[in-house]
Amino acid sequence: MSSKIVNWPLGAVMASVLSVGLPAAAFASEHTPNLSYETVLSGLSDPWDMAFMPDGTMFFTQKCDGLSVLLPDGEVNNLLGMTGSDGYASTADDLFCEGQAGMMGVALDPEFDDNRFLYVYSTSSMAAPGTNRLMRFTVSDDLTAVSDRTDLIEDVPYKPEASDQPFGGPGAHNGGRVRFGPDGYLYLTTGDIHGAEVPQSPTLLGGKVIRIDRDGNAAEGNNAPEGFDPRIYTYGHRNVQGIAFHPETGQPITAEHGPWHSDEITALVPGGNGGWDPRPNMAGRGDCPDGYCGYEPVQMEAMDPAERAEYMPMTDFETYPDAMPPAWDNNGLSQGMSSAAFLTGDQWGAWNGRMVVGLMGIGFGGTPVGQRIDIIDMAEDGLSVHDVTEMPLPMGSGRFRSLVQGPDGNLYAAIDEGDIYRIIPE
Amino acid sequence: MNRAMGFVAGVALMLGASNVQAADISAGEAMYAQACAQCHGRTGRGMASFPSVSGQDAEYIEARLIQYREGEQVGPNSALMIPVAADLSDENITDLSAFIAKTFQ
Repeated sequence: MSSKIVNWPLGAVMASVLSVGLPAAAFASEHTPNLSYETVLSGLSDPWDMAFMPDGTMFFTQKCDGLSVLLPDGEVNNLLGMTGSDGYASTADDLFCEGQAGMMGVALDPEFDDNRFLYVYSTSSMAAPGTNRLMRFTVSDDLTAVSDRTDLIEDVPYKPEASDQPFGGPGAHNGGRVRFGPDGYLYLTTGDIHGAEVPQSPTLLGGKVIRIDRDGNAAEGNNAPEGFDPRIYTYGHRNVQGIAFHPETGQPITAEHGPWHSDEITALVPGGNGGWDPRPNMAGRGDCPDGYCGYEPVQMEAMDPAERAEYMPMTDFETYPDAMPPAWDNNGLSQGMSSAAFLTGDQWGAWNGRMVVGLMGIGFGGTPVGQRIDIIDMAEDGLSVHDVTEMPLPMGSGRFRSLVQGPDGNLYAAIDEGDIYRIIPE
Repeated sequence: MNRAMGFVAGVALMLGASNVQAADISAGEAMYAQACAQCHGRTGRGMASFPSVSGQDAEYIEARLIQYREGEQVGPNSALMIPVAADLSDENITDLSAFIAKTFQ
């Protein structure tokens, strides 16, 4: 299936540019592209992430099913199943899904051609009461199987029991994005599992951005405070599902899901604190439902998001004056900010170098649902944004879970509804 | 906001099977697309933390919507469902429930 919708009279613009003799590069740098789309895959079950080989071969995860690969000829090989899934070349029975938890991020090694290493993050029952694991596999040369499972990180916390919170079922807030940075290290984003102590804990790996090498060792220069697990790169996060790297500075930038207010885009610094601390009986708060203040002061009813932010800030500068400041807070709203990527290449015209962020959409307490992709012009220092604009989607909107720029320069978008789209700039 | 349970149960019975045949399925379909599909999915199977609504009969869906309209806490996503259901009329609930039950088997 393919659809092409022209948003601007490109031909007319092109003609006028040519008539005054400007080079094509000037045109490309000053105009936003027209977008069309193709549906790459449909009928999936909660697709969560994608990772590409240079020839366009696309590995993808489905939260409750497992890991598969789409070959350039359109064939799909199902590689690694989970408990309850069928039709996979192999199955890891300890991997399971529950609520937001399951098989999430996937990444290929920068030296994949040589080592065939693939990394995937999933919930596992191997250690009670369940944990999230970052695993490394070797992909067979013919792309039909994975083997040599090595669990690089075994103990990212998992929420095993329901609690008295919105979305309070088991499996909440696992983070889940896995990406290699331009520094050659592997980054894993995690979540707070509705656990008040988790984000600021020096040892629990939830609510963190973790940076390791391909064998699971802490990266040099993580700079976590004394007494912290050396694998921790940044801490004090709520639920980070997006991380991307500035194409010029290489700085990691996260997209994080806020608590009824303030989704955040934050440029990370080694050892930095995101400033999220939902513990009770501190920062002016008293007791909270089931010991977690993350949605307070009224977690089940509407309230002005600014008033919420005052009481339970996403970044608490009063308690943590040195916390990393968000570059943008989605105008104080929480609408399910998830994945992030940078658009690069002249085909993106004026959007070359801009960051894109997917919002899954959550309508609560008068906040518009807001399913969309935003295009963000980050300041070079990562401390603010010059501009945020909504992408004029060539297809319908959806719960944008994953955004990845493919090797063809197009933007690939996975939505929870079960589709993976290729968004093509022209 | 918290009316007597007896009243709620009574309304649920009044909205029961006999009304399903009179429901406007297309009106329910339009409402579902506008207000429900973003969380429960275009095919009603649920997504992420949002539960499936498929395989339920109309009476079940009606009863839940009435509970949410009355502000009752039913499950961990009540905070999202209560404001969605707050302004639904009896007719809205009948139409929506009939569409969901008929379409998402």
